[in-house]
Amino acid sequence: MQLNERQKDALTELINIAFSRTAASLSELTGHRVVLDVPNVEIYPVSELTARLAGFLPAELASVHQVFTGTLTGDALLLLNYEGAVMLTNLLTDDALFSQRLNESAREVLTEVGNILLNACLGVFGNMLEVRVSFSVPRLHLETLGSLVKSLIIDKEELRYALVIYTAFRLRDSSISGFLVIALSVVSLDRLIQEIEAWEDRQGEYDGGKQSN
Amino acid sequence: MLNEAALRWMNDLSAQGIIITDAELKVLVWNHWLEVRSTHLAADMIGRGLLDVYPELVERGLDKYYKDALAGQVRMLSHRLHIYLLPMSSPEASTSYPLMQQSARIAPLIEGDRVIGTITVIDDVTERAEYEDQLVRLLARERNARKEAETANRTKDEFLATVSHELRTPLNAISGWVQILRKKEFDPAFIANGLEIIERNVKIQVKIIEDILDVSRIVTGKLSLNVTTVDLGPIIEAALESVRLAADAKGIKISRTLDARAGSVSGDPGRLQQVIWNLVSNAIKFTPKGGAIDVRLSRVDSQAEIRVSDNGKGISPEFLPYVFERFRQADSTSARQHSGLGLGLAIVRHLVEMHGGTVHASSEGEGKGATFIVRIPFTAVRVMKESSRQAEQRKGNAEGSQVIERDGSPADDAAQLSGLRLLIVDDEPDAREMLQVMLGQYGIQVKTSASVQEALELLERWKPDVLISDVGMPNEDGYALILRVRALGHDRGGNIPAIALTGYSRLEDRSQLLAAGYQMHLSKPVELARLVNAIMSLSGRAEGEYYSSVE
Repeated sequence: MQLNERQKDALTELINIAFSRTAASLSELTGHRVVLDVPNVEIYPVSELTARLAGFLPAELASVHQVFTGTLTGDALLLLNYEGAVMLTNLLTDDALFSQRLNESAREVLTEVGNILLNACLGVFGNMLEVRVSFSVPRLHLETLGSLVKSLIIDKEELRYALVIYTAFRLRDSSISGFLVIALSVVSLDRLIQEIEAWEDRQGEYDGGKQSN
Repeated sequence: MLNEAALRWMNDLSAQGIIITDAELKVLVWNHWLEVRSTHLAADMIGRGLLDVYPELVERGLDKYYKDALAGQVRMLSHRLHIYLLPMSSPEASTSYPLMQQSARIAPLIEGDRVIGTITVIDDVTERAEYEDQLVRLLARERNARKEAETANRTKDEFLATVSHELRTPLNAISGWVQILRKKEFDPAFIANGLEIIERNVKIQVKIIEDILDVSRIVTGKLSLNVTTVDLGPIIEAALESVRLAADAKGIKISRTLDARAGSVSGDPGRLQQVIWNLVSNAIKFTPKGGAIDVRLSRVDSQAEIRVSDNGKGISPEFLPYVFERFRQADSTSARQHSGLGLGLAIVRHLVEMHGGTVHASSEGEGKGATFIVRIPFTAVRVMKESSRQAEQRKGNAEGSQVIERDGSPADDAAQLSGLRLLIVDDEPDAREMLQVMLGQYGIQVKTSASVQEALELLERWKPDVLISDVGMPNEDGYALILRVRALGHDRGGNIPAIALTGYSRLEDRSQLLAAGYQMHLSKPVELARLVNAIMSLSGRAEGEYYSSVE
């Protein structure tokens, strides 16, 4: 399955809205200016995720995982490599002494950051696309990309696709890159694309033309 | 919908704070855990709006979290980003965390399709936060310690390289000149010159080794002082006398102003002379040809102040704080211009501090000279009785002779030592022969022995006045010898004064040797004057009583 340019632009715009809300929340929360880079969206079958991302996430990674149900059903994940996760939590918490590992408090911070980002994205889908989504409690996992992808495939017979959104958190002169992954069934993805097109059409009516980023 | 019995148990048993509200955020459940830790009882809370009771939730933007929950989202509150949800006290509260540290989760209560309220779960993470802080601090400290250890290690490596270099330099001169002198017959003046160079380099090397041993004693806390009342004036004169040649060689003029009122301090004369010698030698080393050094002794309040200034190289402000550190030299590169181990000033500081004094360095910067100031407190009481030997030294000092070293000529001493019987025990033929030749010129009768057994036989038969023995020997060593000698008893010569002469010069070796029965310990290589001194005092032919602490 491929997204055409128009669909991709619309999806990128929606995620952009979610990212700027997330950046605003994190900035307010930490007192530091946090910027999330304009995302780059790709779509792959879930089974290809390992091959596509292994270069970026070679070793242990930290993921915040939130299941969502409703009109759209799937898994939303924030993926960071372990060092990136440590760095991000250190930068956000402004502790005088930086930790070298993800202790329990750091894992909580990461879970909250993932929670804010994932909720923002799913929330934007819900509000903008006028679909209903329920959220589960976010969970943090430390594992390899291979075992994470396996857990997304297991027990799911239908073919699933993943929206892979590459992004980078920028704060305090540092940049930590990661991926937002939204895994959806074909049915949910179809529904999402339909809703996006409908939203795009509505935008066109309101603005009298196509919006640019 | 909510099971009353389940709710009651959640209320009573939960080890977390639980708040349940309706869709207007009015409190439905405020559990026992919260009653104990907050200032509110369930009876006060139920039916009231959560944001009304805690308006600070709105001020801190946390009302949004509740709005999100009412919109169906789960929200996490991490401890590090929020510190707490509601102000509460904790049984784990401490000085670093007087308030309860919390993490919390706020979730929608969903019935069918509708959000009918919120549920908040609060954890007390005070103890964990404290533990994590400690761990992070501990790890940071360990990392710093490791970094420091690495630096120290590197400094030591550099020091070792310097030591090898410094030891090799005099050795080169010695071995070179020995080869030259061996080649063919030279005129006496040439030979004398060669021997002088050899002697000078031996002294340099001995000094290097003494410095290393001093530092080793400082590090192990085994440096001790032989304290008496000391007049600093003569000590300074003696130190200046011993560096005069080095100063003359560079055309450096040393001026001195010694205030007689500076009085006496209580201290170790040898060590105090070492302090001054080190400071003045240091000044000579870093002062260019034709420079000037000024030494002043004065009285400042209740302290004697010794000030050594030069107009030499000076010290850069960056290096100034480190001048008294071990193994430190401003320039530790192999191409550095100044020889030396970088131990002298570290030894100075330690010795001065052992005397209850202070040492301080100042410099206007590079090329602008340096000043070292030593302050040592005066003695409150003068030592009542002086030995005649000390009195003689004090007299001698006025004329510029050294304090510890006797300055007698062989001719003077020969008269005193003539006819003395000396037994030398050493397994090394060269060492035996050297001592025999050296001491023979004083008129001492010397017999030598290569083994303990032979020595014991000679002792009984020949009845020597003094015994000198090496310690490390094959089969029976110097310890075995002295034990067997002392076991002989008075009539068979068991009380003979004995000197241990060894290459082992650490303090613990010395105390072991003295404990085993030797009266004195001298380390190799020994200077003739020192050895003669020792023999004179042990044989009772010196004027004063013998002093067992000279090394």
